[in-house]
Amino acid sequence: MSENHRTASTASEAPGTEHDSGTQGVSITLEGITKRYDSGKPPAVDGLNMEIPAGSIVMFCGPSGCGKTTTLKMINRLIEPSSGRVLIDGEDVTDLDADRLRRRLGYVIQAGGLFPHMTVAKNIGLVPRMLGWDASRIRARVDELLELVSLDPATYRDRFPRELSGGQQQRVGVARALAADPPVLLMDEPFGAVDPITRQRLQDELIAIHSELKKTIVCVTHDFDEAVKLGDWIVIFREGGILAQYDSPERILAQPANSFVEDFMGAGAGLKQLSLSRLDDVELTEPVRVRAGAPAAEAVETMRAAGEDYVVVVDDQDRPVDWLIASQLERLETLPTQVNEDLPVVYNRASLNDALDSMLVTTTSSAIVVGKRRQMLGLVTVDTIMDVISGLNGRAHDTAAEAPLGQNEPEEFEIPEDDGRTGRNTDEAIAAKQREDSTADTGDAGDDTAAGDPAGGAIADDTAGNTTGDTAAGEPDDRPAGAHRADGDRP
Amino acid sequence: MWEYFTQRSDQILFASWQHFSLVGQSLLLATLIAVVIAVLSYRSSAMSAAANSVSAIGLTIPSFALVGLLIAPVGFGVIPAVIVVTFYAALPILRNALVGLSGIPDDVVESARGIGMSRMRTLLTVELPMAWPVILAGVRVSGQMVMGIATIAAYSLGPGLGAFIFSGLDRLGGANSLESVVIGVVGVIILAFILDLLLVAVGRLTIPRGIRV
Amino acid sequence: MSTLTAGQRRDIRDLLVQAGLIVVAFGVLIWWLLTTDLTDVESSTLAPGAVWSLTLEHLLLTVVSAVIVLAVAIPLGILLTRPALRRAAGPVMAVANIGQAAPAVGIIVLFGFWLGFGLQAAIAALVVYALLPVLRNTMVGLTQVDRQLIEAGRGMGMSAAAVLFRVELPLAVPVMLSGIRTALVLLVGTATLATFVNGGGLGLLITTGVTLDLTRVLIAGAILVALLALVVDWTGRVVELAVRPKGLA
Repeated sequence: MSENHRTASTASEAPGTEHDSGTQGVSITLEGITKRYDSGKPPAVDGLNMEIPAGSIVMFCGPSGCGKTTTLKMINRLIEPSSGRVLIDGEDVTDLDADRLRRRLGYVIQAGGLFPHMTVAKNIGLVPRMLGWDASRIRARVDELLELVSLDPATYRDRFPRELSGGQQQRVGVARALAADPPVLLMDEPFGAVDPITRQRLQDELIAIHSELKKTIVCVTHDFDEAVKLGDWIVIFREGGILAQYDSPERILAQPANSFVEDFMGAGAGLKQLSLSRLDDVELTEPVRVRAGAPAAEAVETMRAAGEDYVVVVDDQDRPVDWLIASQLERLETLPTQVNEDLPVVYNRASLNDALDSMLVTTTSSAIVVGKRRQMLGLVTVDTIMDVISGLNGRAHDTAAEAPLGQNEPEEFEIPEDDGRTGRNTDEAIAAKQREDSTADTGDAGDDTAAGDPAGGAIADDTAGNTTGDTAAGEPDDRPAGAHRADGDRP
Repeated sequence: MWEYFTQRSDQILFASWQHFSLVGQSLLLATLIAVVIAVLSYRSSAMSAAANSVSAIGLTIPSFALVGLLIAPVGFGVIPAVIVVTFYAALPILRNALVGLSGIPDDVVESARGIGMSRMRTLLTVELPMAWPVILAGVRVSGQMVMGIATIAAYSLGPGLGAFIFSGLDRLGGANSLESVVIGVVGVIILAFILDLLLVAVGRLTIPRGIRV
Repeated sequence: MSTLTAGQRRDIRDLLVQAGLIVVAFGVLIWWLLTTDLTDVESSTLAPGAVWSLTLEHLLLTVVSAVIVLAVAIPLGILLTRPALRRAAGPVMAVANIGQAAPAVGIIVLFGFWLGFGLQAAIAALVVYALLPVLRNTMVGLTQVDRQLIEAGRGMGMSAAAVLFRVELPLAVPVMLSGIRTALVLLVGTATLATFVNGGGLGLLITTGVTLDLTRVLIAGAILVALLALVVDWTGRVVELAVRPKGLA
């Protein structure tokens, strides 16, 4: 769904609102990536093939020790793969100078990993300086990025990390990773060290930044809810870097590939679907807007005229300042200009789950939805959310987009302890490949998989079903192109 | 060298024992003094700041200078040696005792008081045992340091292995002068090692298992 | 942004107290020397020119050995914390610790026997003696740098050398400096013993005082050495405060 949604929103966005200066995301392809620490022990990641489509957010998810972080770090070669290749935008980077490679890939870690002895500006300007930018260009870039992550440059530029809150440090960490405008952002448990409220806000901001910049984002998390909320695609790993499932959040929720994925998702998968619907997808209520600092009497009139019993005070850039009910309004002379920090404000890219959370925290029955640069778009009410919940069931089956490829291809060609839990395995890949080759023959592919390997059954059925739908409808295959070594190796 | 050692083994062992006993007794005295001072001052931030400064400044004063200073009022012999060794031994212990005592969480002390323990009893049965590992670490640092300082105290004719070094120096170039110095140096290193082992053993025996690292 | 933290304010107050203490003690010493009747030998030994040249000798011993110590211990400390050599750190530290337990006076005399009496023997012994604190603090300072920060640096494309010079060393500076100060104070104190191998320095006043039974020379020498150590310590603290990277609490 979110893939759909994202495509739709890209198309519908007016050309003027785009910041086109930036480098957009590129695809990443992992080919037979293996990491073996001890020759005696099983590898941490085993023959992983994976495509990460350009411009999408892919979440690496799984229990600790599942190889998700190892896989991430093999992309920027903080961990050198024992074998296999990494392609970025089709270019083999396995033999590039690692330092030069990393300057092209943004990297964000937990708590930002800011250098405590450097100011915010110095931290953000590090990579540009290494790339030889001149001072004025760096300064301009730092300010631009601070704006992007909602920190006022004048206030924060010269601060040291310890003078920032956890959330602010994390924002600076993101800004630093974006400094040289890399096409790819790698994030390792970026929001693990902040409180839940801040985390939600940072997640919303990341989604907003992504929709503005269209970077390819690969993000490791152990939190399945976070994966559902942020991901266009989710990769669920199990021990040994084995891919348990690689699919859209909707399909993973609706049709977990195996019992491992089911267990990992945990209870309440139904309600988790609420995390899938973004506020963008629902109709917002337009409240009565009044300007901050204006006379209260005027506001009362406007409110009465509209037949409402409350108003939302906004500043001259339409950013919410406060909201007031009739009785409060009547006691005032002028409308407040000081921003009320306790307002239930959610970003338009936030999920309905977040909106519901905000309402519960502030005990209100609606929340203010804001878009880019905190501009108010409207209100979402609890009734709207209830409607969505009742309409949710069965939505996953409407999903049209096709999942990108991902599979393990163990070096020693032993099928990873096949207890009916493996995700897409080699047979399934053949099936996928065959679909690619002849779209008409999908039924065949499904049979093939089901017969060859019971493990792949769940997914194979699912994908076969979906693919049939897709191809029948004549949709173009939007899967990113990428070399696939598996083909050549197959007998 | 070996010949020198066997011929004078009685003398060497006696000097070693004297050295060890000087350090051991001074260390005991220093621990007592340092802990008492720490107990008296750790509740007041001004007093602990002062005690910390004394410890820091005291450690900068060269031991040879203090030996020299003490010769004037108290003369030569055992007394200046004991004073110097105890003085230096007390400084690291004092610092650690302050750290240990002030590092105890307030709620632990409060709950001890809450169940009706007196101030004194809390100190003896809760605070000091909890601070003891840190204090003992200070004692170990002191032990290593004053082993060497006790050698310098021999300049004021104090007891111990330092005498071998100074007598070797006096008979520079003479028979066995090098042997004498080597015996002094190696002897002190061995004693320092033994003392450290003993203090580790003391720690094993006296640190409650619940707070052992 | 120049507001001081409580800790910095306390540091500055301590520095002022220490400076005051040094000045007062020095004043009392001068006043005492001026008002006491000194014998001819005493006043010639304690003539300002003679004492000044002994002080310079003492500082020379201290500074030369300190420079050698820094030149050896800091690179060694860096090497021993690099992944390739980290294994060697344990044994090296064990040897260094044993060296530290050796009595300073014994080491100086042994070096005197070996290299002949004079400046070189004194400096060689001082270097051996002061190596450990600098080496240990360099290693501690470098290893306590958060691994996450090093990885963040590497992750954004800094080379290993760039991470060392721009992240690890700046963050290790406070710990390293305190090791260097410890070493300097140790050197000033131990340089007093250089007189036993004719290495010069203020220790001469103490030994002369004892040998010739000149109590006032003995006392003056001892106080001067103590004051010199306090001055060096004070200078070290000022430097530590001044060059401490901003942004560290």
